[in-house]
Amino acid sequence: MSDSDSDDENFILYGTPLDPFEEDEVPSKRKFQQPADQYAVDDHGRRRFHGAFTGGFSAGFGNTVGTPEGWTPSSFRSSRLEKAQASQKQKPEDFMDEEDRSEFGIAPRHMQTNHEFSGRKRPRAPRFHDGPIPGEPVLEQLVRAVHETAAVKMLRRMGWKEGQGVGDRVTHREKKKSKEQHKVYGCYMPPEMRQEPTQSSDSSDSEFEYETLFAPDDYEPYILQKKSDRFGLGYKGLSRHSVLGNLGGDERSHLVMKEKGKKVSIRGQAFGVGAFEADDEDIYATQDMSHYDFALGNPAEAKTSKKNVKAINVIEGFVKATQPMPSVPAYAPPALPRDYTPLAAGTRRSRFEPTAAVLHRDQGLGRHELTAEARGALLGEVPVPKTPIDTHDPPQTTSQTPRQTEMSKFLQKNINFISPNTETVQAKSTPDFISIKDSGKEQVAPIFKPFAGDPLKQSRYEMYLRDKDSVMLERERDADRLSEWERNREMVEFEQAAILYRPLSGAMGDRFTHASEPDDALNPLCAVAKSSINYGLATPEQVEAAKIGAYGLITRKESAWRPEALVCKRFNVPELGGARVEPKKDGKPNVSYSIFSYLESSVHDKESFTKEQSKFGGSKSLNFENKKDTSLPSKEKHNEVINIEKDKVSDISIDKPTTSQVIVSNTNSSQEGNKRMTVVDLFLKESEKDLQTKQQGAEVTETIEKFDKIDLYKAIFLSDSENEDINDDDTTAKDKDDNDFIVKPKNIERNTSPPRGIFANIDFDEINAWRRPENESGDNKTVENNIQTKPEETKEKTIDSINDGGKEMTGEVEQEETYGPKIPENLKKRLESAAIIEIDNFKPIFTKKNKSDDDNSLSSSDSWVEIKTKSKKDKKKKSKKHKSKHKKSKSKHKKKF
Amino acid sequence: MNDKIDLSTIETLSCKQQVVRAVRFNIDGAYCLTCGADKKIKLWNPYSKLLLKTYGGHANEVLDAAGSCDSSHIISGSADKSVILWDVTTGQPLRRYRGHASSVTCIKYNEESTMAVSGSIDNTVCFWDVISRRQEPVQVLKDAKDTITSVQVTDHEVLTSSVDCHTRLYDLRVGKMLSDYIGHVVTFASLTHDGQCYILSCADSTIKLFDKDSGELLNTFSGHDSKDYMLENAVNEKDSHIISGSASGEVFYWDLVSSTCTQKLVHSNKKPVVSLSHHPTDNYLLTACEDEVKLWGVPKMEE
Repeated sequence: MSDSDSDDENFILYGTPLDPFEEDEVPSKRKFQQPADQYAVDDHGRRRFHGAFTGGFSAGFGNTVGTPEGWTPSSFRSSRLEKAQASQKQKPEDFMDEEDRSEFGIAPRHMQTNHEFSGRKRPRAPRFHDGPIPGEPVLEQLVRAVHETAAVKMLRRMGWKEGQGVGDRVTHREKKKSKEQHKVYGCYMPPEMRQEPTQSSDSSDSEFEYETLFAPDDYEPYILQKKSDRFGLGYKGLSRHSVLGNLGGDERSHLVMKEKGKKVSIRGQAFGVGAFEADDEDIYATQDMSHYDFALGNPAEAKTSKKNVKAINVIEGFVKATQPMPSVPAYAPPALPRDYTPLAAGTRRSRFEPTAAVLHRDQGLGRHELTAEARGALLGEVPVPKTPIDTHDPPQTTSQTPRQTEMSKFLQKNINFISPNTETVQAKSTPDFISIKDSGKEQVAPIFKPFAGDPLKQSRYEMYLRDKDSVMLERERDADRLSEWERNREMVEFEQAAILYRPLSGAMGDRFTHASEPDDALNPLCAVAKSSINYGLATPEQVEAAKIGAYGLITRKESAWRPEALVCKRFNVPELGGARVEPKKDGKPNVSYSIFSYLESSVHDKESFTKEQSKFGGSKSLNFENKKDTSLPSKEKHNEVINIEKDKVSDISIDKPTTSQVIVSNTNSSQEGNKRMTVVDLFLKESEKDLQTKQQGAEVTETIEKFDKIDLYKAIFLSDSENEDINDDDTTAKDKDDNDFIVKPKNIERNTSPPRGIFANIDFDEINAWRRPENESGDNKTVENNIQTKPEETKEKTIDSINDGGKEMTGEVEQEETYGPKIPENLKKRLESAAIIEIDNFKPIFTKKNKSDDDNSLSSSDSWVEIKTKSKKDKKKKSKKHKSKHKKSKSKHKKKF
Repeated sequence: MNDKIDLSTIETLSCKQQVVRAVRFNIDGAYCLTCGADKKIKLWNPYSKLLLKTYGGHANEVLDAAGSCDSSHIISGSADKSVILWDVTTGQPLRRYRGHASSVTCIKYNEESTMAVSGSIDNTVCFWDVISRRQEPVQVLKDAKDTITSVQVTDHEVLTSSVDCHTRLYDLRVGKMLSDYIGHVVTFASLTHDGQCYILSCADSTIKLFDKDSGELLNTFSGHDSKDYMLENAVNEKDSHIISGSASGEVFYWDLVSSTCTQKLVHSNKKPVVSLSHHPTDNYLLTACEDEVKLWGVPKMEE
């Protein structure tokens, strides 16, 4: 929040503003209401309840009650002499407005069927459950409970059945008669004429001659429909709906303008028949002779025959399709691969067990290839006990075991941290996890198999873990197979492996400790440890003074403090003007609610870390590795040179070539250059060592295997950010430590990548060069020795190259590049002589060392001059650093003087 | 002066608050507040033993409270790390400030009750603007290296005492902070009414009187037993006596000049009298011991 914002906040508000809801406020139960919301109004916006009639109806027309225009309320009075008249009796309606009697009023008045007769069941609120299909259930739409009206019920009682007409029962004849009557259009026939057809029909209806009575035909109501269009009588336009019922594609109107504003054509069905006529024949059909009868006879016969022809194989009401339905294409199932063997689902014994496919899978990140059990074992978890089915399934396992091991051997992708499940099944006695309790002890269950590639060695290792003495005996027996040197080496390996290949819980166990005291966070009033020992920030003098009771000047400390402007305002104290002694940090106090902001030092500070590192580095393996790392053969040296050049604090021992060399594969060495030495690297080294001792052909596969572990460990242990932090902190701290070592290892914690961030522009070489004179006074001899012992070829080469190019340059350089203050003459002379010496020694590789040599000869304040003597190439490179260097040197002097 | 010495118990309030963490007179001494371990604050009329109101809303023990100058608000600090501003009449919390990272041990209003100053176990002192609706502290003092045990606020000064054996006086007018190293854990700091001296309760069972301007030790009062309690002290209304509780259950009166113990009031037997509050203008004293608060004073003559 900016200052201006906070200023706004600091205003005091009077009156009752609407409170914005804030999370830290205790919410009030009642919401604030505008006065307007609190009154009920009628349609015309008048208040409904008011004044003396609050709780009543709105009083009279336009609230005129009590006014001269309106009705005046009077009290009811009745006495023996003047009896209250009946006419004065008041009804509630007298006090009602029309809107009270309207549809939504309190006494609505309109005609409606009593619900008992409405034909509807009591209206129930439709409650549709929110299933997968929303809305009213289809079944309910289809099947509706019928509630009969009272009339239907009454008819039923009287013997009426559905489908019948209402009225007296009639004989068949009468019924027919009525039917015929119905069909007659035009004038009635005279009664004598009518007799004839009935007589003739008698014979045919002989079955119904008896006195059977029939219900009259149902009366079909003729419903007049309102005409809603302006078409001619009986004309209806073509239906917009297609055959299938939905609206057709073309939405064109029946009236079509053919030419603009001139011709209007009407599309649609033709004019139909008259209102009371039966359907007409197709009037547009062409007349031909087939429509005429050519013989006298009963036309009814022909009709029936026609019907029969039509009805062949077709259900009544349906029409035979002209086109057959298109058949749905059927596809054959995909062909299975030839080597596919269907595997029954039951072969996997648990969901979490890896399938065989896992082994085939391409290698990705190492951690993805761990099974759940493996991961659990790494974390020191107790695995879920296997189902008893496992034990009843021996043939399956045995058949699977060789296959799996075969596979793992072939691919070498099996992770060796945990033995395959099948093995554990076979060897049930050995626990397949390490409890945290045991992890600290020597005996580590054979989960981590660092020497899985060599089963014999692994077994010896396990034995070593179990009992060191037994290994000694074993060694006697194996004397013939292994040489003394090999055995000794192996012991060293085992020792390291026992330290390194501990499960995670064990490794982590070192880092954490139980709380020495119970956590009293919940008890705020528990006694605080007396901090009189730490004295706050008191100086020793203050402590002394306080002890003898000499309070006053010594114990008092005065410091500037700046109250916030608002604090001054509230305290009615004039704000301190220009005396801005302590600059405000952010404008507002940045209060973090985290407890961490109150911690002065964290666990990860420099000191504790270096301590830990030195402890860690104290192990044999690390030193050994260092030696190996630093002593690379001359072939590798060329590559290494770059690294060393970057390496700011590389020690003299780097250059010492040792004889017992190990050829490290190029890939590995290049990796090392960019990485800091970690547990992972140690693993890598371990693998290499393993390789050498074995001297077998399976080297490549082995390294792959080790890389798997590394990936895994990286995933678990390392995060980039952590590395960087540590490195940054460590660079300076480690310097001192390194000088103390007898066997000077290369600083493995070093980040050899080019400096980034705040370190980008700092020339560490320079810094170290400054420091070196003090530190290295004793080491000078070794430096010289070192130079001598250096391989002669490289030295000569570099010198040559410099002499060739460099000498020519120096002349130019001196002429052209005259930045900074002019050098005094006497100094210049000295410099020139020094430059010559320097050129003799000049090696681009170990620039820093040369510098340190020079620094001894030159006065430290002249160091910036020295750059001149360097080749142009260097100059360009260091042009950036120049400034900072300059500053540095200056600041250094300031400190010194 | 000797006639005033004869103090006796006038009333005894049993607060039923488990333990009374602090007892405080209001601005004019007519009422008092008791902060209980039962997370509630109670407002009393101590003279008539009348419980006026209970303020509940804290989530943990209330460690300190103060009434505003117009007696319309109460500000309280609690072990739930929050500071709550209460409305006296409604008993509702008006605002809750959550700036502290740990228990709030002490709290005071400024002279005009426009700002509250709270000290906490998180080593900070926070200034809260109680009249605007600002939720963050206006200013945070982070000079102390350990728990703030007490805060005193005058018209232009803030005095804090801390477990790091320092007292710090922040002067708003000058813009300076004077820190005095005491050498012992300071459990309570108060100022005399003339504003010239600190009275510091130290954990070595002494009370030290310091000159504010020079930082020199003027007097030391001893005889009581502080043990590990955060004992409070007070000065009487005439600046003639220093008062302090004791782990032994007594209340000590020392003569300010001669540093002799003039009176011992026995509040309870072997139960520490941690909190006490002196009437601002009259010779009344409130002391709290467990859930019992006693009002001491000179009994009326007519009795």
